[in-house]
Amino acid sequence: MSVVIETQDLTKVYKGMSKAQDLVALNKLNIQVNEGEIFGYLGPNGSGKTTTIKLLLSLIFPTGGKMKIMGNPNITSPEVRKHIGYLPEGAYYPDFLRGEEILSYYGNLYGMKGASLKKRIDEVLEVVGMTRARKRLIRGYSKGMRQRIGLAQALLSDPGILILDEPTTGLDPVARKEIRDLLIQLRDQGKSLLISSHELLEVELISDRVGILFEGVLQTSGTIDELLTSREFSIKAEEAAPEATQKVREAGLITEDAVAGKASLRVPETMSLYQALDICKSQNMKIVSVSPRRETLEEVFVRVVGSAVSSKEAQRGER
Amino acid sequence: MSIWLASNPWLTVLYGVIVLAIIAAVAYYTPWSIALFTFREGLRKKTLIGFLILSILVIFGSMFMTAMMYDTGGTVATDVDVKLIKDICITAISIFGVLIAIFISASVVPTEIENKVIYTVLSKPVRRFQYLLGKFVGVQIIVAVNLLLMGVLFSIALYIKEPIFPRMLLYAIFLTYFEFLIVSAFTFAVAAASTSAVLPTIAGLFIYITGNLTQYLESVVNRSEVSENSVDKGLGWLAWVLRNTLPDLQYFSLKTQILSLQINDTPKDIQIPNLVVYGILYALAGYIIAFWVFRRKEL
Repeated sequence: MSVVIETQDLTKVYKGMSKAQDLVALNKLNIQVNEGEIFGYLGPNGSGKTTTIKLLLSLIFPTGGKMKIMGNPNITSPEVRKHIGYLPEGAYYPDFLRGEEILSYYGNLYGMKGASLKKRIDEVLEVVGMTRARKRLIRGYSKGMRQRIGLAQALLSDPGILILDEPTTGLDPVARKEIRDLLIQLRDQGKSLLISSHELLEVELISDRVGILFEGVLQTSGTIDELLTSREFSIKAEEAAPEATQKVREAGLITEDAVAGKASLRVPETMSLYQALDICKSQNMKIVSVSPRRETLEEVFVRVVGSAVSSKEAQRGER
Repeated sequence: MSIWLASNPWLTVLYGVIVLAIIAAVAYYTPWSIALFTFREGLRKKTLIGFLILSILVIFGSMFMTAMMYDTGGTVATDVDVKLIKDICITAISIFGVLIAIFISASVVPTEIENKVIYTVLSKPVRRFQYLLGKFVGVQIIVAVNLLLMGVLFSIALYIKEPIFPRMLLYAIFLTYFEFLIVSAFTFAVAAASTSAVLPTIAGLFIYITGNLTQYLESVVNRSEVSENSVDKGLGWLAWVLRNTLPDLQYFSLKTQILSLQINDTPKDIQIPNLVVYGILYALAGYIIAFWVFRRKEL
C-alpha cells in the first residue's frame, strides 16, 4: 500500500510581535495517509487540523518540515492538484449561481469542458443526491444542500485524494448516513480520504486509521483496532440489591446501569477482573456475563486530550 | 501626423509589438472561467450598480438641467447648452467610472478571502498568478463595460442636443479606460495584500487624486528648490518622489479639448500609442506588485 500524503516534521509557527508571542500551530507533525484508506484527523478546536490541511493545499506555507503528495514534494504543481478534491469547512458558494453552474465553474478550473464536463456534473450531482436541485439558485439551498454541493465540487475531477474538513456539518441524520456510506464507497473504489472532524462516532464508524492532534502535536495515531483496545471488562449481574450495588460502587467498580435487581458494571483499568468478581460475589450478586469492553473513540479522545492537558499543566507548574 | 502613430515609425512598431505581446500573454494565461465569474459577480455588487445608476441619472439629468437653465424654445441647442452637457457628463464619467474601478478592484480578492471561496479555487490546478490574472481581467471587463455604457449614454445625450458623430468623445472614452486601468491595477496590488477592501479603496483614491495633481506636485518641487525652509524642502522631496513614481493621469484627459473643440473634431497634440503603452506598462507594474505580495500570502 503506497503512501499518498506524507508529512515529515511539519512545523508551522505564526509569528507574533515578539518571540514569546509566537504561536506554534504545528510542531514536527508526522502523518501518513495510505492509498485506499480513510484517515480520521481529530483534535479539539485550535489543535492544528485546519492548519495541516491548509499547508497540504499550499494555502499557507510551512515554517519547517516537508510534505509529499503522491510521492511528489512539489505539492503546488497542477499535476498534483489534479488528484486532490477539497471540501473546506463552512465554505461559501456564490449564491447568484445555480448548483450546476458552480460545478461547471469548478470543472473549468480542472480544465474540464463540454460534454465530458456535463456528463461528470450529472454523475456527481447524482452521487451527492442533488440532481433535482441542480437548476436552483444556491441562495435557496439549505445548509445541508450547500454541503452536498461542496462535496460534489470536491468529487468533480474524480480525484484520488479527498481532503474533507467537517464533511457532515449541517446535515440531518439521514443525510449523514448517506454521506458516510458515500465516503466508504469512495474508499472502496481505492480513493484515499483525509477527514477532519469533530463527529467522533462517525469517524469511528468509517475510519481505517485515526490521528489525534492537540496543540499542534500528534498525540497518538493508529488503526481503529489499535486505538480502541480492550482495556476494561463489563460485568452483568442479577440479584443486585440497591445496597449491594452501593457497596460494589464504593469498592471501585463503575455502575453503568442498575435497574430492578439487574446491574451493568464496568471494571476500571486499575482493578483486576478477579478482584472485581470477588467484590460482586461478596455482595451475593449472580454473575450473568463477563466480557471485554472496547473503548469508544470518544473515550480515547477524551483520555488522550485529557492526558495532554494534564502534562501541559504539570509542565507549567514546574516552571 | 496621425495621433495613432508614435514619434517615429520604428517606435510605433515597437509599441505595437509590446502591446500585442502583452495582450497575447494575458489571453493565453488567463483562466477565462475566473475572469467571467468575476465579471458576473461584479455586476451584482450593489455599490457598483448604485454608482452606475447615479452616473446615468447625472448624464440624462444634465439634459434637463440645460433645458431649464437656458430656454431655447426646445429647437436649437446653443453652444452653452452643449458645453454644459459635455462638462457635466465627462465629469460624471470620470468620477463614477473611477469609483467603480476602484471599488471593484479593491474588493474582488479580499471578498473571496473573507468568504473562503478562494480555498476551493486555489486547491484546484490553478496557480496563484493565474488566479490573480483571472480576477484582474474580470475587473477590467467590468470597468470597460461600465465605461462603454456610460460613453454610449453620453453620446446619446449629446446626439439629442447636437446630432453629429461624437468622435472626440470616443477618443476620450478610449483614453479614460487606460487611466482607469492604471488606477485599477494599483488598487488591485494593494488589495492583493489586504484582507479587507477599505485600505485598497483609500489607496486607489490616493493614486487617482495624486495622479491628477502632477502639475501641483511640480510646482511644490519648484517652490522647494528656492525655499530655505526645511519643511518646504521635505514637502518638495515628497512631491518629487510622488511625481516620479506615480503615473501622470493628466496625460489621459481630453476634457479641455472636449470643452473647447467641436465634438466631432479629432483630438490634437496627443500620441495614442505612447499613452496606450504608458497605461499598459503601469498596469503591468501594478499586476507584478500584486503577484509579488500574493504569491506567498497566507490565506
